[in-house]
Amino acid sequence: MTTASQEFLRAAARESANLPRRQAIRRAIDQYDAAVQRGREQFLDYEAARRKCYEIKWEALNHLDRYLEEFEQRVRARGGQVFWAERAEDARRYVVDLATARGVRTVVKSKSMVAEEIHLTPALEKLGARVFETDLGEFIVQLRNEPPFHIVTPAMHLTRADIAKLFEEKLAEAMSPAASRDDPAELVAAARRALRRAFFSAEMGITGANFLVADAGLIAITTNEGNDRLGTALPRIHVAIAGIEKVIPRLEDLAVLWPVLATAGTGQTITCYNTLIGGPRAPAEVDGPQEFHVVLLDNGRTDLLADAEQRDVLHCIRCGACLNACPVFRSIGGHAYGTTYSGPIGSVLTPHLRGLNEFQHLSYASSLCGACTTVCPVQIDLHHHLLHNRRNAVRASDRPWSERLAFRFWRWTMSGSRRFALAGWLGRATLRGVRALGLAGTTLDLLRPWTRYHAAPVIPRKSFRALWRKNGAR
Amino acid sequence: MERAENPGRERILARIHSALRASAPRHDAGEKRAIFVSVADPLERFQQQCALTSTECMLVPDAAAAAEALRTVLESIPAGEIFAQDAPLLHRIVQRAEGGRAVRWSNAGPPNEGSQATITLAECLVASHGSVLIASNGAGRAASVAAPVHIVLAGESQLVPDLASALARAKQDRLAETNSCLFLITGSSRTADIEKILVLGAHGPRRLVVIVMRDLDA
Repeated sequence: MTTASQEFLRAAARESANLPRRQAIRRAIDQYDAAVQRGREQFLDYEAARRKCYEIKWEALNHLDRYLEEFEQRVRARGGQVFWAERAEDARRYVVDLATARGVRTVVKSKSMVAEEIHLTPALEKLGARVFETDLGEFIVQLRNEPPFHIVTPAMHLTRADIAKLFEEKLAEAMSPAASRDDPAELVAAARRALRRAFFSAEMGITGANFLVADAGLIAITTNEGNDRLGTALPRIHVAIAGIEKVIPRLEDLAVLWPVLATAGTGQTITCYNTLIGGPRAPAEVDGPQEFHVVLLDNGRTDLLADAEQRDVLHCIRCGACLNACPVFRSIGGHAYGTTYSGPIGSVLTPHLRGLNEFQHLSYASSLCGACTTVCPVQIDLHHHLLHNRRNAVRASDRPWSERLAFRFWRWTMSGSRRFALAGWLGRATLRGVRALGLAGTTLDLLRPWTRYHAAPVIPRKSFRALWRKNGAR
Repeated sequence: MERAENPGRERILARIHSALRASAPRHDAGEKRAIFVSVADPLERFQQQCALTSTECMLVPDAAAAAEALRTVLESIPAGEIFAQDAPLLHRIVQRAEGGRAVRWSNAGPPNEGSQATITLAECLVASHGSVLIASNGAGRAASVAAPVHIVLAGESQLVPDLASALARAKQDRLAETNSCLFLITGSSRTADIEKILVLGAHGPRRLVVIVMRDLDA
């Protein structure tokens, strides 16, 4: 067993026993579920919306080179720079070199999962720059030195009391002395005061991009707080980092992608700020950065693109719906996965980005119930991809001979009706014997992995086949 | 940092070319179906959506009434400088409404950090979502987010039924070529990052006010 999988099992056991945390997750997801029901009312036919989003992303991914080049050419025409980064370190080095060359001391960052993926913040901090996460949830987890807990709701696991305590410790000067500590509005105001200084003094704003619009040469950023807006208006340099899979063909595609992203992400009909940026400040404009850089990141995405069976994983718009729907995520939360992307999409994607062998255990962190596939707004076949990853991992790795022999024997047993009946009889007899000898619950009990956490099942006296023979198809 | 220093570009494109040699499965397209609930009465829908997203929508007959409405909004805001987009229509309206406040016009630069309100025009209003579409070559980028209150003045003729028509109009008007940024704004700045409890006024405005004039030319 690899280290990552051992850590995952330990963290999953610990987190699933953390009942207050699970309650916080459940409360957040219950509210999300209720909001999604309301958000979907804007659609006459939500399935048609999902289909449309699937079509848009399919078209983009299957002509990825053409759309990326079109996007690049239009951004360059407006005076923007486009850098293609093959690996995480290429992207990191580009941004760090730029920050060094321009004497950047303060950076305001909007939420970006790709920036998490390439570990950009530590690299900038090593340089001596101060990096402020400006999305409230990200700001909170940054103060706690934690990675985001959820793609869309980074501080989902924390209660307002946790956050009040954190702000008392780390943000005392921004807290207003008279206000109630447990009032979310006061906590938001404190963060606003603390970050406002950063916005007005930063030399560099870093954002992600939800979409790269090829035919208009614009990046699209979605936020509710407007932090992206300040971070791309005030500093003199704007750097946007995005995976190459974010490109979409046409500006009009956003007419369905924006509402679907909002509804799947938070249950809103549309997010407050949908910002389209295509370059640095134009000569006739009042304000805006002097420089605009787009970093296009590959980092394993072209390998996934080459896997035609799983190419649709790149359709993902990072809405977080599959995390919220997943019974495993609901039980263990985001940190237990130990990966940048958690939940079903993370379990499918991570083995591609970071190695099938080391992260194959994530393919088994699923009951294969298919809830993720049902809610995915771009129709990614998530739970079948978990199965595909299991198959590929078994094919690629050298399984022990005992396991191969066991499966061969199992297949032989299951493929003959007499052998199957005999195995059933043996199983029932053994279990009854174990119980009769008082060994239930010991290491000799075959059902122990189940009965450790569940009530023991009743062992039937007769098999289904015997009952069928006796009673027929009544 | 120039193209010459970016050998990764060709390598990534080459990998994409070779990856796409294998064709991916595709779901059946099925028949084409309507996606959104249609917009019967754009003005009514716009007002309904504004109410749902805490946008204050004020419907007035003309520019004179808009000045009156603007005056009442400004009276509810603490003393201090306001910022306005440098446009002839706004000069006429703001002059009648400012009530002695200092006004910084956008031709003097972006809003100051301490601005109490910003006043801008819009490219269009989107009925289906209660949104306003704003372009950066008007009042700039910070104008719609720097102050606690953002006031938009628009004409009813700028109302379009849905996002598809707003984006089609943006394309037709070549807005992406003539602006470095376009902003679709729906409601005031908000967050629900703490226990999913909605709080208005995260980093941007706490209030978004849209004053819609039924007749822009009067």
